Amino acid sequence: MTQEHDHDHEHHQPQPQPEVALRTEALEALLAERGLVSSNAIDAVVELYENDVGPQNGARVVAHAWADPAYRTRLLGNGTPAVYELGFSGFELNTLVAVENTPAVHNVVVCTLCSCYPWPLLGLPPSWYKSPPYRARAVAEPRAVLREFGLELDSNVEIRVWDSTAEVRYLVVPERPAGTDGWPEEELARLVTRDSMVGTGRALEPSELAGR
Amino acid sequence: MSRATLGQLDEALAGTAPLPRANGELVFEEPWQGRALGMGVVVLERTGTGWAEWREHLAAAIARHGQPPGESAATAYYTAWLDALERLLASKGLQPSS
Repeated sequence: MTQEHDHDHEHHQPQPQPEVALRTEALEALLAERGLVSSNAIDAVVELYENDVGPQNGARVVAHAWADPAYRTRLLGNGTPAVYELGFSGFELNTLVAVENTPAVHNVVVCTLCSCYPWPLLGLPPSWYKSPPYRARAVAEPRAVLREFGLELDSNVEIRVWDSTAEVRYLVVPERPAGTDGWPEEELARLVTRDSMVGTGRALEPSELAGR
Repeated sequence: MSRATLGQLDEALAGTAPLPRANGELVFEEPWQGRALGMGVVVLERTGTGWAEWREHLAAAIARHGQPPGESAATAYYTAWLDALERLLASKGLQPSS
């Protein structure tokens, strides 16, 4: 596994009002403690609403990269302007880095100190992404964590763990499933799940689309 | 009150304090804003709070908070939303007032 970061650089809630974000977290923790509202219940509502701000933006980026090799090169070279080409902004205050999975390398994204996430592309982070066990274990034992997500990787696959920061956000470009040659981008995008873009899953196989 | 769909939420808030949108899409500038919205919806459901009561809390919070210079509409809205939620909970004795 590759460790890309030291942990001394600045992690923080970005602009504009860190204290209101902390207040939100504190209230969520209090409600959970009282058994009034669980984080899962909030996740469910947020998921319900997130058709407006959901992972479909990221899925379009990945599908376009799969379909257009020149775009793929631009995306992997410099993510922020590449996603802007497709109309996705929101990375003015940080940099988007796209990392590509291959048969030899699997990338997974974490934010060890808080919950930095490429939300303009993926919507709001799921609660597991923010949970202390994921944040600690994704770095210490990524292979075991991925197995718990149902992702069994061969021992010869290198796992790279990317630790997000206020300055740098990561998007995983999953491997394109076999049997999708010539598919239009809208169909390809349906294969691209949120987890596949965080690196805790793979893109769906064509056969898995039927039930969705 | 059962859990509100986005459409019901829009309908209930339209006259008083419509959710911030751009081109029809909900605007969340930061993840906390979505959490605050989701938390509010679940609290309304769990506490059986009706729209009229929530609108009153929300309108009062928006009036108190306003939109400070340099603060975006979405930040101002969800800051007020959070404030209204804290007060709603306090009014029901569910949160120690701080």
